[in-house]
Amino acid sequence: MRVDGPQANATNEEHVANRFDLPNLGIGLGLRTVHYGHILEHAPDVGWFEIISENYMQTEGKPLWFLDQIAERYPIVMHGVSMSIGSSDPLNWDYLREFKALRDRVGARWVSDHLCWTGIAGRNTHDLLPIPYTEEALRHVVSRVREVQDFLEAPLVIENPSTYVEFSGSTMKEWEFLRALTEQADCAILLDVNNVYVSAYNHGFDPDEYLAAIPYDRVVQFHVAGHTHNGTHIVDTHVGPVVDPVWRLLGHAHERAGGASILLEWDADIPPFPVAHAEAKKAEQWIGGVAR
Amino acid sequence: MTDRKPSPLLGGATEAFVHERASATPRNAVLEAAPAAHGTSTRPPVVASFDRLQSWFAASVTHAGLLSEGVVADGLVSRLDELERVVTRGPRLGALERLGVYHHGYRARLVECLADDYPAVQYALGTDTFEALCHGYIARHPSRSPNLNAYGQHMSAFLVEGASGVDLGTAPLAFLAGLATLEWALVEVLHAAAAPVLSLETLQSTPPDAWPSARLPRADTVRLLRLAYPVNAYFQAWRTDEAPTIPTAAASATVVYRHELTLWRLDLTPAMTALLSALFGGETLGDALAHIEREVHDAEELAEAERSVMIWFREWVAGGVFARIELPDANLEGACP
Ligand SMILES: [Fe+2]
Repeated sequence: MRVDGPQANATNEEHVANRFDLPNLGIGLGLRTVHYGHILEHAPDVGWFEIISENYMQTEGKPLWFLDQIAERYPIVMHGVSMSIGSSDPLNWDYLREFKALRDRVGARWVSDHLCWTGIAGRNTHDLLPIPYTEEALRHVVSRVREVQDFLEAPLVIENPSTYVEFSGSTMKEWEFLRALTEQADCAILLDVNNVYVSAYNHGFDPDEYLAAIPYDRVVQFHVAGHTHNGTHIVDTHVGPVVDPVWRLLGHAHERAGGASILLEWDADIPPFPVAHAEAKKAEQWIGGVAR
Repeated sequence: MTDRKPSPLLGGATEAFVHERASATPRNAVLEAAPAAHGTSTRPPVVASFDRLQSWFAASVTHAGLLSEGVVADGLVSRLDELERVVTRGPRLGALERLGVYHHGYRARLVECLADDYPAVQYALGTDTFEALCHGYIARHPSRSPNLNAYGQHMSAFLVEGASGVDLGTAPLAFLAGLATLEWALVEVLHAAAAPVLSLETLQSTPPDAWPSARLPRADTVRLLRLAYPVNAYFQAWRTDEAPTIPTAAASATVVYRHELTLWRLDLTPAMTALLSALFGGETLGDALAHIEREVHDAEELAEAERSVMIWFREWVAGGVFARIELPDANLEGACP
């Protein structure tokens, strides 16, 4: 694993490094339009930016103009919401071609999407819908991840989503499915520790059991985010500060991974850039000297 | 460009606001619970193939009415008390309530997208009526694209066709459709490629005797709108927090364009409209100028057109509204360097 910054001598020799040789970019932020002006004017000291791929697809105008400027100054990672890797519909090759072209345009360090599906029969719900964790679904998703990786000539990074239901017919836990998928398809993991926390609350499992099952040599990135607690359930709204139990999960997982890129997602009631940036930098307090 | 007041009267820069899509889940409303009378099935999980299960799930969470009706609509689940044979009860919520997060999130996300595209229509209708309009639109136009950038493209036509009978109160459909046309033009222009456009230098280097046969096609970042209401005046008043009320019908024409990173809206006089429409329609400059005399009958406006036509051209070219100048002799053709 390539490690940027002063952590090379950190006490993590026993930890596995990611097997894809993807760099640790340090602490980054999700790129949001309301922050374009601040970023271009003040050039804040941020490790990297993650974009929602679809915001820069099907457009040739203003969004790309800003992205090109920012990609000249910062490492970019692409994070998608519409690959629909878990759908029983055929893969959308028009989408994948445009996706690959965008990756090449901005020099994205890696690309990710979610362990989910977004629609069927040609219709898109634009939501991250849950997959039944069965052998049939596993075979299907493994073959699609392989196909996409062959096309991209790069590892696909798969993120665990927040979920609100589980299927009665599931025969595996999500972490068992994720582990089997990533090993059989040889793909990478974006571990969203907030999503682990949200799903654990919604379904009543132990988040530490989830973390214990992750193959950390495949983890190339972490997500943290705020959420909305409704008492009966938690919704992954990406709003507000990250709660301490989620930071604690990050600390544990980050240590097990021997360090990997960390990213804060903030998508509703987005504050001024310095506020979001300060929230992301809180990660430093939870990861013991392993990030830059 | 930003120093210049768009002529002749009205318009102004629109600070382009693209609201991006995210991987987050919208905040919930109250989730629908199953009636207490319904018990819980203790029978084994429903056996269904992967794609059958996905069809059912998508049909349920995109169902336009109550979720409790949606889950039993396609036959996989025969009665509500059988739902837990497909999705489980959670530690604190029943299966129907849990599924309700997706049912609510589906429409909420698309309403948010349409509100980003049509903020003035939302203002004109009020939040609740706008939401009802969106629900009608979502039912009529489910997304078929991985991308939401073009999701709202049918709104004007949807309004013209009667908005699926949604009760929109007293606002005339033709006004709302015109306002939607203007707002969609802003979205389109924002996403259009900024290709090279005709420059002032190229225009000025064109020999005067070549002018009558020249053609000046529209740049990709430009839209010319002819509307049945003074929609742009209304939009401008809304933008500047003047709380406009719905105007009476009166023909208007507005050109919407992007110059570098700023979007502009510029109202046109009838003479300007006649000229630009003809040019954008592919006619030569000579023929386009003749349209002014055919379509404008007000003597004062004709005189004003004669005095100002060169000024209009300079302003339009400075704003980047023409893609290039095309002359019969191909050697003289040119875009900006
Ligand atoms: Fe995430």
